[in-house]
Amino acid sequence: MNQKLSITKTGNFRTLQEKWTNQRVVDLLVRNSLLIVILIVMVYFATQNERFASFGNLRAVLIAAAPFALIALGQTIVILTGGIDLSVGSVVAMGAMSAAWLSIRLPPEQLWLAIVIAVILGTLAGIINGLVIAYLDVPPFVATLGMLTGASGIAYVIGGGAPINGLPAEFAVIANTKIFGLQFPVYLMIGSFIIMALIMKYSAFGLRVYAIGGNRVAAEVAGVNAKRTLVQVYAISGSLAGVSGVVLASRVGSGPPSLGVGYELLAIAAVVIGGASLMGGRGTVWGTFLGLIIIQTLGNGLDIMIVPSYWQSVINGVVIVSAVAVDVWANRRRSR
Amino acid sequence: MAPVLEIRGLEKSFSGITVLKNITFSVEQGEVVALAGENGAGKSTLFKILTGQLRPDKGTILLNNENLDRIDTRIARELGIGIVPQELSPYPELTVLENLFVGREIKTKFGYLDRPAMLGESGRMLGIFGLDINPSDKMKSLSTAYTQIVEIVKATTWGAKLILLDEPTSSIPEHEVEQLHEIVRTLKGQGVSIIFTTHRMSEIKQLADRVLVMRDGVLIMDAPAAQAEPEAVVTAMIGRDLGNLFPKLSKPGKNIGLVVQDLILHKNGPSVSFEIREGEILALGGLVGAGRTEIIETIYGVRTAVSGNVLVGTKSLVLGSPRKAIDIGIAIVPEDRKGAGLVLERSIAENGGLPRLRDHLAAGFVKIRSRKRTVGEAMVRVSLKSRSLDQPAGTLSGGNQQKIVIGRWLGGETKVLLLDEPTRGVDVGARGEIYNIIRDLADAGLCVLLASSDTPELIGLSHRVLVIRDGSITGELKRDELDSPSAQENIFRLSSGQETLVS
Repeated sequence: MNQKLSITKTGNFRTLQEKWTNQRVVDLLVRNSLLIVILIVMVYFATQNERFASFGNLRAVLIAAAPFALIALGQTIVILTGGIDLSVGSVVAMGAMSAAWLSIRLPPEQLWLAIVIAVILGTLAGIINGLVIAYLDVPPFVATLGMLTGASGIAYVIGGGAPINGLPAEFAVIANTKIFGLQFPVYLMIGSFIIMALIMKYSAFGLRVYAIGGNRVAAEVAGVNAKRTLVQVYAISGSLAGVSGVVLASRVGSGPPSLGVGYELLAIAAVVIGGASLMGGRGTVWGTFLGLIIIQTLGNGLDIMIVPSYWQSVINGVVIVSAVAVDVWANRRRSR
Repeated sequence: MAPVLEIRGLEKSFSGITVLKNITFSVEQGEVVALAGENGAGKSTLFKILTGQLRPDKGTILLNNENLDRIDTRIARELGIGIVPQELSPYPELTVLENLFVGREIKTKFGYLDRPAMLGESGRMLGIFGLDINPSDKMKSLSTAYTQIVEIVKATTWGAKLILLDEPTSSIPEHEVEQLHEIVRTLKGQGVSIIFTTHRMSEIKQLADRVLVMRDGVLIMDAPAAQAEPEAVVTAMIGRDLGNLFPKLSKPGKNIGLVVQDLILHKNGPSVSFEIREGEILALGGLVGAGRTEIIETIYGVRTAVSGNVLVGTKSLVLGSPRKAIDIGIAIVPEDRKGAGLVLERSIAENGGLPRLRDHLAAGFVKIRSRKRTVGEAMVRVSLKSRSLDQPAGTLSGGNQQKIVIGRWLGGETKVLLLDEPTRGVDVGARGEIYNIIRDLADAGLCVLLASSDTPELIGLSHRVLVIRDGSITGELKRDELDSPSAQENIFRLSSGQETLVS
């Protein structure tokens, strides 16, 4: 993949001009293959069931996507450094449980404290991940696997092993306030995506993340403090998971400690469908957005068509692997 | 007798650039052929085509009169073409035995590995070459030379009739080279044909029956090794004389710019002290592993020192942090360009701006235009050849990549430039340009510390040479001593621990 030269195949007698134009069209199609697939899938669902293309359904897809989107964003930058964050699902649960626990104890005017503390807890989990990975050199898979188990345990401890129910109505406001017909978390999601996309593309932090993932040694030789950047990256992932937990608790109106189980894998799926390399250094926020859209619309469309959920899992699995296979193929094609 | 390998009119190009042009030659059974040429001459491409990793655009390859027009890696191996690449990829955690049999394991009739049978077979294989290797040892316990030998043995066990060795002796110590040569002779005795690439002229004479020289994708020379004089081979390789490669040096300034005091690299190790004046190029010579790279990396802070002081101008440097070194004005061009120099996926502008990213920031965001201007100016000064600054660094040639690594330090407050093998893997044309850049930087008042394994480079590009052996300075050659014809010999003597010098 180092050499990005294109090789003309033997026995190719077309003129250079012809080959160029054809190649460009194919390149364009290949590069946007994910977008094309999304459009095809959407058009297909829309023709199958008129409910799919309705505003009400769009709203449902978006609000369902929001908590995932936040985790997937954090996961994107973690994966860009060449790492992985398996703990996000549990951190969601921890955030949700701590927000729920506080919300039934705090007076209504101090509910903001529940949110802040939940996010701080998530950030702390991320910082611990980052410190262990950067300074103790524990592989990210192992460090965050430990946090996955640990944070899940804390979520159960907070609720004494049971869900926390009867959250105050004021707390439910967070997820259910509508602005121009869309719930607040939808705006939170869109805003986070835009901000993160700008950060990754134009900020020093973004460049450092790409540099560390692309070649950590070279980045360090060029003066990048890789350890500090790694801690920042995992802290962001943790805090976004905390926010996601608050949003979920508010939407559900309770705090089940099993919330968020398996979310990390869906988030990773969205990131890799979006074209990021698990080796680090390659991938975009925009790609993750597309990956997320494809997972969510597929789930929603199949729901509407009343496909049993077990079969949905099978279809999801096929989609994940084929999306990445196409991406790998497209990259190899470009680098030959 | 018909040749084992016959190549006719082989051509290959990458996106319009011809890398192999009308290559025609043949190899007899049991013949040892040396393939010489600069980096980028097309040797690797030729090897890749022969082993099926690349398809030629044109031309025929005949192996034992069989046409290999649709060759892939598996077919190449089955037909008896084996390759031992320059960068070996053994399985270090597996045993020698397992390394030898990966991919063609001997199994019992129940499908289990038949270890006794493999053990016997491997003993026999190693025995043929008179090797004293225990097949049960872990691969990682072997030296580089032995690792290479095991890879060669492995290639022969696939029944190779033609073995390609890519720079077999480039990374192994002198005293193990002979062992490798012995293996090649044994293979020859068995009727196996060999093509090897090399940079050592002496090796061509010692080992080869015939020498092929490639330059810019063209086969320039095809002669019996006995008749090929080293000078003729070198001239054929580079296409011109070496004489005018090095620029004329100016006189260094008066002020001392860098002081290294009692730098100790290893516990109980020797200490190193030296000074460099502003505008002076000080070269570190010595064998591979003598400690030159360690000295440079310790000054820069990617490696920690046991103790020692480094002064840049009058300011004392806190050792151990590249960031602090950069801030005080130290720049590095590391030995391993791909591994430690560049983030290949990222653009020239991003790589170029990385060390001084802070100069181009506003509230944490990169000022794209300011960075582009600064990096652009620097890249013009090093005459980088690229389509645009947004081009990924990995798409450039080795010489141009090196220009980014050097150029990104220009135009700042750089006071000291550390160069570790700055022209490794760089072709001759770009090499001359890089030498000029280094000279210009010294003229601008920088202190330059240059480590190089290339003796002509040490002599041609420095005001002074310090020879390093086992981490300590064993000798110093001043400019007038470097101008004497015996300079090369003396550097070698100091490097290898001989006390006496020739005058």
